[in-house]
Amino acid sequence: MASVTGASLVLFFLACAGGILLSALSGRKRAPLVIAIVGTLSSLLMVLAAATVLVTGQSYEASLWTLDGFGRLTLRLDALSSIFLLAAGIVYFSVSIFVRNFINDQLDEAYPTHRYGVLYFALMASVVLILVASDAPLFLICWECMSILCFLLLNYDLRRQSDKAAGYIMLAMSEAGFLAVVVAFLVLGRTATDLSFSALSAAAAGLSPQALWSVFLLGFFGFGVKAGLVPVNFWLPRSYTAASPIFIPVFAGVTLNLGFYGILRLNADLIHTGYGTGVLALVVGSITALVGILYATTDNDMKTMLAHSSIENAGIIVAGLGAFLIYRASGHPVAAAIALSAALYHMLNHSIYKTLLFQGTAYVEAETGTRDMDQLGGLSRLLPGLSIIFLVGCLAISAVPPFNGFVSEWMTLQALLRSAVLSSTSVRIVFALCGASLALTAALAVTCFVKVYAMSFLGFRRGTWEPRLNARAGTRFSLGFLAAVCLLLGTLPTYVLPVLNRTVEPLAGASVTTSLVQPFFTANAENGQLPAPFLQDFHNLGAQSGKGLLPGRGLVVLLRGLEANPVVFAMSPSYSFVALALLLLLAWFVVTRLTRRRAVARRALWAGGIPRLLPQMTYTATGFSNPVRVVFQAIFQPNITEDTRQTVAVHFRTAIHRQREETHVVDRLFLQPVGAATRWIAGFLAGMHHGRLNAYVTYVLAFFLLILFLYRGT
Amino acid sequence: MAAYTSHVEGDGRTGLSDLTAAVGERFGSAVSPMPAGHGYVLTLSLAQLSSLPSLCRFLFLDRGCQFGGMIAEEHSSQWQLHYAFLLPGSGWIDVLLSLPIETTTVPSIVAEVNAADWHEREVEDMFGIHFEGHPRLGDFILHDQIWCEGIEPMRKKFSATEPAPGRQLDLEWKPQLIVADPGSFAMPVGPVYEGGLGESVHFLLETVGEDVIRALPRLFYNYRAVEKIAEGRSVSDVLLLAERFAATSAFAHSLAFCQAVETIHSVEAPARAAHLRILIGELERLRHHAGAIAAICESTALAVSTAHAAIIEEELLRASCVFTGHRYLFGLNVPGGLSSDFDAEQCRKLLVSVDKAEKDLRILENRLRYSSSFLDRLEDVGVVDGKSARYLNLVGPIGRASAQHCDLRGACPYSGYEGYVFDIPYETEGDGFARLRVLFAEATQSVKLIHQAIDALEPGAICVPCEGGYPGAALGWAEAPRGAALHWVSLDEKGLVERYHAITPSFSNWHGFHEAAEDFAFQDFPIILATFGLSATECDR
Amino acid sequence: MSFWFWHGLRRGIQSTGYPRKAEVAPGISPGRPVNTEFETSGEAQSAAAICPVDAIIAHGSSTFVDQGKCVHCQRCRLSISLPMNWDAGYEWTRLPAKQTECATLPSSFSKSMHVMVVDAGDCGACLHEVKQLNNPLYNMHRLGFFFTATPRTADLLLIVGPVSENMRGPLLKTWEAMPTTSRVMAVGSCAITGGVFGRSFMCAGGASSVLPVDFEVPGNPPPPLAILHGLLVATGRKSVTKNELVSEGRS
Repeated sequence: MASVTGASLVLFFLACAGGILLSALSGRKRAPLVIAIVGTLSSLLMVLAAATVLVTGQSYEASLWTLDGFGRLTLRLDALSSIFLLAAGIVYFSVSIFVRNFINDQLDEAYPTHRYGVLYFALMASVVLILVASDAPLFLICWECMSILCFLLLNYDLRRQSDKAAGYIMLAMSEAGFLAVVVAFLVLGRTATDLSFSALSAAAAGLSPQALWSVFLLGFFGFGVKAGLVPVNFWLPRSYTAASPIFIPVFAGVTLNLGFYGILRLNADLIHTGYGTGVLALVVGSITALVGILYATTDNDMKTMLAHSSIENAGIIVAGLGAFLIYRASGHPVAAAIALSAALYHMLNHSIYKTLLFQGTAYVEAETGTRDMDQLGGLSRLLPGLSIIFLVGCLAISAVPPFNGFVSEWMTLQALLRSAVLSSTSVRIVFALCGASLALTAALAVTCFVKVYAMSFLGFRRGTWEPRLNARAGTRFSLGFLAAVCLLLGTLPTYVLPVLNRTVEPLAGASVTTSLVQPFFTANAENGQLPAPFLQDFHNLGAQSGKGLLPGRGLVVLLRGLEANPVVFAMSPSYSFVALALLLLLAWFVVTRLTRRRAVARRALWAGGIPRLLPQMTYTATGFSNPVRVVFQAIFQPNITEDTRQTVAVHFRTAIHRQREETHVVDRLFLQPVGAATRWIAGFLAGMHHGRLNAYVTYVLAFFLLILFLYRGT
Repeated sequence: MAAYTSHVEGDGRTGLSDLTAAVGERFGSAVSPMPAGHGYVLTLSLAQLSSLPSLCRFLFLDRGCQFGGMIAEEHSSQWQLHYAFLLPGSGWIDVLLSLPIETTTVPSIVAEVNAADWHEREVEDMFGIHFEGHPRLGDFILHDQIWCEGIEPMRKKFSATEPAPGRQLDLEWKPQLIVADPGSFAMPVGPVYEGGLGESVHFLLETVGEDVIRALPRLFYNYRAVEKIAEGRSVSDVLLLAERFAATSAFAHSLAFCQAVETIHSVEAPARAAHLRILIGELERLRHHAGAIAAICESTALAVSTAHAAIIEEELLRASCVFTGHRYLFGLNVPGGLSSDFDAEQCRKLLVSVDKAEKDLRILENRLRYSSSFLDRLEDVGVVDGKSARYLNLVGPIGRASAQHCDLRGACPYSGYEGYVFDIPYETEGDGFARLRVLFAEATQSVKLIHQAIDALEPGAICVPCEGGYPGAALGWAEAPRGAALHWVSLDEKGLVERYHAITPSFSNWHGFHEAAEDFAFQDFPIILATFGLSATECDR
Repeated sequence: MSFWFWHGLRRGIQSTGYPRKAEVAPGISPGRPVNTEFETSGEAQSAAAICPVDAIIAHGSSTFVDQGKCVHCQRCRLSISLPMNWDAGYEWTRLPAKQTECATLPSSFSKSMHVMVVDAGDCGACLHEVKQLNNPLYNMHRLGFFFTATPRTADLLLIVGPVSENMRGPLLKTWEAMPTTSRVMAVGSCAITGGVFGRSFMCAGGASSVLPVDFEVPGNPPPPLAILHGLLVATGRKSVTKNELVSEGRS
């Protein structure tokens, strides 16, 4: 099967090259079609390559040429890379179809589509190269290419100054992260025979704990920038808001994941650290999730809101990774495997539903001309199809069954609950706090997306926009495809988890399949891990019944308590889905039976007897989320910049103006102090550049004396 | 005798002569003082329009007069606008503006006397006189959604019995919103709300979610054109209207009406009737305050205290019914006295009920004062400071909770209140709790007054006939449970009512309600509403 | 705060026994004039003349009272040498003049009914008496009656006031928002005939000129027990009063 993988990879790179060529040669009119066809094709090749590795479990390796001073450049598509490649393939598949319908609306004459196509395919190739690179130089070169291409694509059609600033901030942060990663690899490579990942991994085993810590911190910072972790994520909402709707799903669904890939590859695969690093990741992840969702809940721009929500999801994923690192370092491979599979599952889910939501937002913006939830409203009547698909996305991201977000968030929380196995009380307390914080995050996420859906799709149209209503078949297909994937990943986790296990097992050292996805419950030898009476109970409850119906393992995702306390945390999204569907059907049947003879009277909306309920009299998005703003005032610290009351004839109030301003908590506590410190240092250094020769001579003399003093012994 | 101390120096007569002299000195020939009449102690007739604002400013700000209200009258050849000011301790001063009937524009005094705001809007809506300088005319009693401009129903040429022309529902009508906070919206409440148990008022709460920035009441859903349909009817028929446009303070309004009629006829109710009027008026106040306290308890969802206060109220309603034959004290006042007399046994029974009510109220007050969760909800809620209360001219218990001492029983006594000893309690905080304390304290004073009235009863007639004296007009007033009530009655040659105008305490206080309902949390809205204890129907007429 | 608990317990049950047994506490009802036989037609004429709203109709030496018009001014009791007969009760609910069938709610509502009240220009008295039904002394909840905040769940529309022009729209909106099974009850003489406000450019002169009314509770205001009787009639647990013969008396 390795040949299939290799062939698909080769074909993929050929397709990318072809895409670049064809885009460059085709005109403005043809380029969207080229992007759609070649993009779809190459993304399918990505999925094929990833799928063969994940299904067969065989990695694919290929050596490229040797570079002087860097050693051999090698490619290796292992299970870890494959899962990320799979997510990227699904996102690219949807994006490529979606782009075709939108690209000409978004780009005008000055920014031709075919040049966009060139950058698009170049980025696609560099992303795949990052994932398959198996040595530090290739990895770093591709990473740098990816950063610059992201910047170019983000700044491709920017007209506003603030958006340009967003691009530069992103580039600056990417470069800072990149430098940190380079240093991390240099520290690792000091004792290694060459710079391939296998050699680095071998060298890491011999490093001192301090060196490992420094590698971890550098890598965590460097990749954390891309993954959007607090406090280095201030570039993310800015650039997501600035990015054009055709590019932003790539941002959120593909390049964000590269951050997690980097953390996993460098900090979990190449080096093995103590549990302190895991605690750091867990805490940072939990804080990131909470901060992200707070700002997502209170923001009214759909795009910015989704950007903050990406931060939240990144936090949940990194918290899962942190739990994985802790469990692995403290010798609980099964718990570690659960935590890692939760994190990877969530990564996959987030890529899909976030792509769906961003594309839905782009659709809404194209139809209405606005993304401001205060202005929107009533879209479900205008765009019924989009409304349902967007609702699926909202339910999935709010972790509501039967969609995919529920499975991964449930598993993440269950992984945190397993902290009972740990011996250190303080770490257990950290787990408890982080678990509580993640639970709060999950609750706020529901608030957030209830607001998004209710304020944009339900109620009255509040703004002055006019619907444009130009139907786009391809867009609907792309969105419907993603919604279907959301449902499949949410209802069939027992088929997904064994696939994820390919990735998880080598990293965690234990298989997740036997402990997490049980065979059908029966008191036979297959379930040696569980007490026989317990299995008998489950058997009697009918847990065996699906065996003949469905291939594969049992449909119960299960977590066990300790040996002494065999509590079972079990759920089965598949069974729940079937039960839910049956119940709905039954309810529908009963209701229609019962009300068959009843006349249904439809009456006007009740609004207290006023002649007409105006759109200005209904809840706005700001109003809906204001309780959150009030409760978490300590974090938001809103600044009332204007509070004026105009009066005429001394006492008559004619207007009350109020304007609030909020500085993001990361900007307030991190960016601004760091900026101020940098400026102060720069000012101090500038003070030394006053141009007086005598002073320079004094500096030289002083420095000379210092050197003489330091090296006086040698 | 009254313990009421006026904050104007000197006794009533010197205060009045001082004022007359000062007006003469300041305004010269522009203002001509005329002798007492029509229930006023002084009439200042204005020769020219332009000095109106400065004269009103002089009276209201420089001389500390209270603004009572504004009465417009259409005569065959001229308009007469009466601006009633109260000089505490002396009586009512009438600033009279007589204008040719062609006049359409009068200078507004709202910049000087903000309390005239709604009065001017009403006159504009009803008579079509434009007030220059008033920023918010139109859409008042006749809602713009339903009524077109230019109907002017109080004009003589308008027939009350024919359907008004050109009326249709305007669905495009939008309220004027003034809050510009990103994401703000206006939450509509009413006119049918609380399951209809609230009176018909519509509120627009301009809010950004939890915090309400401003609450704007929209009234006159209950407007039944009482003043229009009164025209051309006999006094005894209009008495029914005066009694029934606001039944929860029926006795006070019918008393003010009867006193106005008595002034026209130049008769005075006999002493026994005067004492009984005080007795029944205070009984009504006691019952009203018990009901207002029950409403405040209910707004804070303190169920047991609500039940306790509601039982007191119902027992007082029953006592009223036993005493007078009607639970809401209808049919008692007639011009010249009362329609029925009460013997000593009835009075004794009433005293038993009243004393029991007072005892129960005292228990309730003591318990409420120690209910911290209850106090938390009232304190610092719906605050109106003394300065605002003064310029908005808040009256009654609400005004007195914001350091406005004025009470017509003391400031301008009627029906023999000058012979009674009582306190006029007031507070300075101006919040919901202050208003509650004033209600309790006034209830105690009312019981005291009922005792005094029964002690003062002497055998005698209860009614004198009212004849002759018309045509004529007069102002009658009474301190209704919610505050000062002014009734202007004008009779034509046949003794039929030519113009009737009631200035009610709820009208004055609803105008000031917006001051208390600014920048509050949404859950405090029912509490602010309950502590104001306003009646929409009393305002609407 | 526990004293409120004990306070509540110590007071015991205060509610009236009505409708199980008649309530006889003094002051629960102002009563009302009823058809009276006088000695001479002159006495009957003078009784009819003193009524300001023409509710008393003299027919020979008999007088008939149109309860829908009576505004409880008490003039035919206090200001007349020969007063009218007085009914001290409170079971006054009647059917509208032209209606013969009692349109009670279907039997499924007999133990539970939700009432929507609309103040359509009321003077405050009727509304206040309606509110008294929530008073512990009357406590209509024990009978399964509730006020509801939304017309969607209401079974009975209770109208007080003569229907002012500004409230006509909200009243109709409320009625339109209610289920089709709902009934309408006009409470107080204003809601029945317009009362002292009558019919004018601002008053519709009673609810029946705007909506089909099913029950009428006369009185100005009808005391709480009269309204409670009306609610019991609407659910079929009490029957309407039969002794009103105004239309026959007039003919």
